[in-house]
Amino acid sequence: MFGQYAGFIVPAYVISAAVIAGLVVWTVLVYRNRRTEILELEKRGVKRRNQKEPK
Amino acid sequence: MQQMKATAEIMSETSIKPASVWDYANPTRFLGLVERVLPAFVMLTIVCMAIGLWMALNAPEDYQQGATVQIMFIHVPAAWLAMMVYTVMSISALGTLVWRHPLADVSLRAAAPLGAAFTFLALVTGSLWGKPMWGTWWVWDARLTSVLVLFIIYLGLIALSKAIEEPSVAARALAIVTLVGFINIPIIKFSVDWWNTLHQPASVSRFDRPAMDVAFLYPLLVMAIAYTLLFFTLHLMGMRNEIFRRRIRSMKMQSARQAEGG
Repeated sequence: MFGQYAGFIVPAYVISAAVIAGLVVWTVLVYRNRRTEILELEKRGVKRRNQKEPK
Repeated sequence: MQQMKATAEIMSETSIKPASVWDYANPTRFLGLVERVLPAFVMLTIVCMAIGLWMALNAPEDYQQGATVQIMFIHVPAAWLAMMVYTVMSISALGTLVWRHPLADVSLRAAAPLGAAFTFLALVTGSLWGKPMWGTWWVWDARLTSVLVLFIIYLGLIALSKAIEEPSVAARALAIVTLVGFINIPIIKFSVDWWNTLHQPASVSRFDRPAMDVAFLYPLLVMAIAYTLLFFTLHLMGMRNEIFRRRIRSMKMQSARQAEGG
């Protein structure tokens, strides 16, 4: 598709896609892990300093 | 759906409607804002990236560079973002030191890995473009060297953010080092004008009209918008993650205090 330059163009796009996908996956995984951890702490009755009592 | 419900439970105090940007100094309110705007950001990023990639891959070959001009559509946005993210971090640093905004440090910390990633991409794609066009993967000219320095600064800031335990000390140290490092941004921008470099001077962001045909300019601008949207989407998500990290820390400390108190 890119002729004699395919060996440069394809790696540039593949590396960019891999780094961006890595950032997205890492961000989502960190979010899920931390959200789960907060919910578990709340289940154990741990509150933040300024957290209100549930009504 | 279950995920959204769980997040809504974590942010159960978002009922008060904020009136100004300063009201978002409250992390819980900020999380409410993130939940509302994030789906739109994600959709816009995906649509813009898809259109940009379609335009880029259908752009004609350049009469001098041939098909390697395709690399420009991912190299230039990454390079712009490398500098823009650092500028966002510097404004955040001012937010910490001058305005003492509670989310300024959150913003700075969330942006650093994103800036490092975009700078890495600018360096790698630039190298892959440089080899067929310049005949070399790398030269120690002012533009390339100053961008490498930017990448090292990003790594240093990430390391510093993890090295200091006390949050207020870490925030101040990060803000000061970030502002000192900002001197590198105008050096990167004007390096091609101040020194003789193998890297070409600016083609788009010039005082007169861009020195580029619209067949290349339009795909480049759409890709730049897509990369910018991608950054703001990931930045919002990263800030949410950082707020959660602080909550976990605070809850664990509270739990330890309760355990000590019997």
